[in-house]
Amino acid sequence: MAEININNVSKEYGDGFKAVNDVSLDIADGEFMILVGPSGCGKSTLLRMIVGLEDITSGDVLIGGERVNDKAPRNRNLAMVFQNYALYPHLTVFENIAFPLRLRGGVSEEEITRKVQDAADTLELGEHLDRKPANLSGGQRQRVAMGRAIVREADAFLFDEPLSNLDAKLRGQMRTEILRMHRRMGTTTVYVTHDQTEAMTLGDRVAVMRRGVIQQVATPRELYERPVNMFVAGFIGSPPMNFVPAGVEGNKLTLPFVTVALPDEMAALVEGHDHVTLGIRPEAFEDAALVDDSQKEHGVEFVVHVDVIEWLGNEQYAYIPYDAPESMVAGLVELERELDSERMRSQLVVRLETMSSIHDDEDATLFLDPRRLLIFDPQSGENLTLRLQH
Amino acid sequence: MASRRTSSWWTVWGLLILVWAAFPLAWMVSLSFKDPNTFRSSTPTFLPKDWSWANYDSVFSDSLFTSALRNSFGISIIATTLSVVVAMFAAYAIARLDFPLKKVLLSMALAIAMFPQAALVGPLFDMWRRLGIYDTWIGLIIPYLTFALPLSIWTMSAFFRQIPWEMEQAAQVDGATQWQAFRKVIVPMAAPGVFTTAILTFFFCWNEFLLATSLTSTDKARTVPAALTFFTGQSQFQSPITSIMAASVVVTIPVVIIVLLFQRRIVAGLTSGAVKG
Repeated sequence: MAEININNVSKEYGDGFKAVNDVSLDIADGEFMILVGPSGCGKSTLLRMIVGLEDITSGDVLIGGERVNDKAPRNRNLAMVFQNYALYPHLTVFENIAFPLRLRGGVSEEEITRKVQDAADTLELGEHLDRKPANLSGGQRQRVAMGRAIVREADAFLFDEPLSNLDAKLRGQMRTEILRMHRRMGTTTVYVTHDQTEAMTLGDRVAVMRRGVIQQVATPRELYERPVNMFVAGFIGSPPMNFVPAGVEGNKLTLPFVTVALPDEMAALVEGHDHVTLGIRPEAFEDAALVDDSQKEHGVEFVVHVDVIEWLGNEQYAYIPYDAPESMVAGLVELERELDSERMRSQLVVRLETMSSIHDDEDATLFLDPRRLLIFDPQSGENLTLRLQH
Repeated sequence: MASRRTSSWWTVWGLLILVWAAFPLAWMVSLSFKDPNTFRSSTPTFLPKDWSWANYDSVFSDSLFTSALRNSFGISIIATTLSVVVAMFAAYAIARLDFPLKKVLLSMALAIAMFPQAALVGPLFDMWRRLGIYDTWIGLIIPYLTFALPLSIWTMSAFFRQIPWEMEQAAQVDGATQWQAFRKVIVPMAAPGVFTTAILTFFFCWNEFLLATSLTSTDKARTVPAALTFFTGQSQFQSPITSIMAASVVVTIPVVIIVLLFQRRIVAGLTSGAVKG
């Protein structure tokens, strides 16, 4: 077990493209660190630099305090689970798991058998040990790949999108399995994913990357509640945060569908801006009919036209299109493209309780508390709300 | 109804092709069992009237044939082994590494494979005489390697390219050196490719006639295809045809056995189960 320190690491390809740009990250001993971001953000490259499959252009990677830049992958004592599992098809499950032990040499046959048996028991692979990977299901192959990793007692585990080839149900189960394994073994883990659910549920801390640069490293809760910029705010959360352009006049914000008065301390934040971008989580809105009277004085009510309702059993989502000036949404289109989604039209996504009786294609009265707004600088994307003292 | 008609058409076509291909073979076998003195009868029959092993007896008692058989096996096996080993490393390098002039190297290899062998016979004959390797095993193995390698390299690099690079990386992370990763993961995974290449190369060496007949002069290195032309009857009035046919049957047997033995390995899926199915 060991801590991993990444100091000012960059990766530059021959054509001058910087896949990873001056990244520094300290991963504590036993910590579960997630690297997350849209495709092409450099998260996998960073992981492959830690394990040694990718050369480091500049900067240092330290494992357990020792610089490993020039060490071959086999000398770094790390275990990695690949996205496509990379099981050896000509070997049985037993031999697949035993492979790293046999390579090390000097391990007796009884010890190998015992260790493989232990790993197989942990992962409930006992009855499949004599089979070849071709005859296993996706989830079983995934477990064999994990078995090959845990049998070695490596300093750290590295996962490269290990669940993206599984179907949704199995993915949920394996996620819990990985978490349970980490809790029991307490091994330092670096886990790359583009799936924000995995990022939020698994990680002690999450590093959000964009174009080779780390945007924010924080606990899942902090990322959700206090994102540093629009990129992080838009990436974390499902359905994603609504970004709404708003004009500023004194302490009043003019949204396309409502005008809200800001409390004094928030009004100070928007001083000097003539417009800002607001981040509103879908759950920040409420059906006005269900809001307690004592709450109502803190917010505003407004009427909008609901286009579509999606009812999911435990909650429902209302989609509300609105018109916004072209000039104000231009930056948002760019942002959404970067977040791997496509902005089709300006619309709000609102989470409603199942008790709400709002229907499709009807006008509805919603309630919004301005204290739940996040205010972003439209140019830099910085979250101005972070300047508030909590 | 329509599909049944189509499939019966396929059967008819298949049978037609089978007869077309198998007839000469059947004729060869049939001739080899006929009596060398009476096979030319005025009332010819396809099958021999009296089955006789006489031709096989005479073929195997003829040192011309037995030494040729020994030469054929020796030269083919050595040339195949060398070619496969060299081609394996070359193909791996071509599939995995980026180095300058890779394209040139590949095109040159292909050009060699297309070069007309007949054009080389004269110069080789001359060179081999001066070097003193005319009519020796090595004198045949060298040109066989030259002509077998390009195809072997192309075939095997195609197989290597199909192996996901992650297999090798996984092995390296698991603690393997580059050599161990190659030997314990890549080569076993490419085994079907290696077998296919080995078999193709072996057939090429086994069947080669032009160089075998031009670069040999005695029993020392003459291979079977070349030796067949030197068969004579037991007397000058006896036709050697039946003996030649018996010898042909004998040299066809290893080819058939090899194909039957390894056809499953050749067809076997290359990386089934390595990555998600």
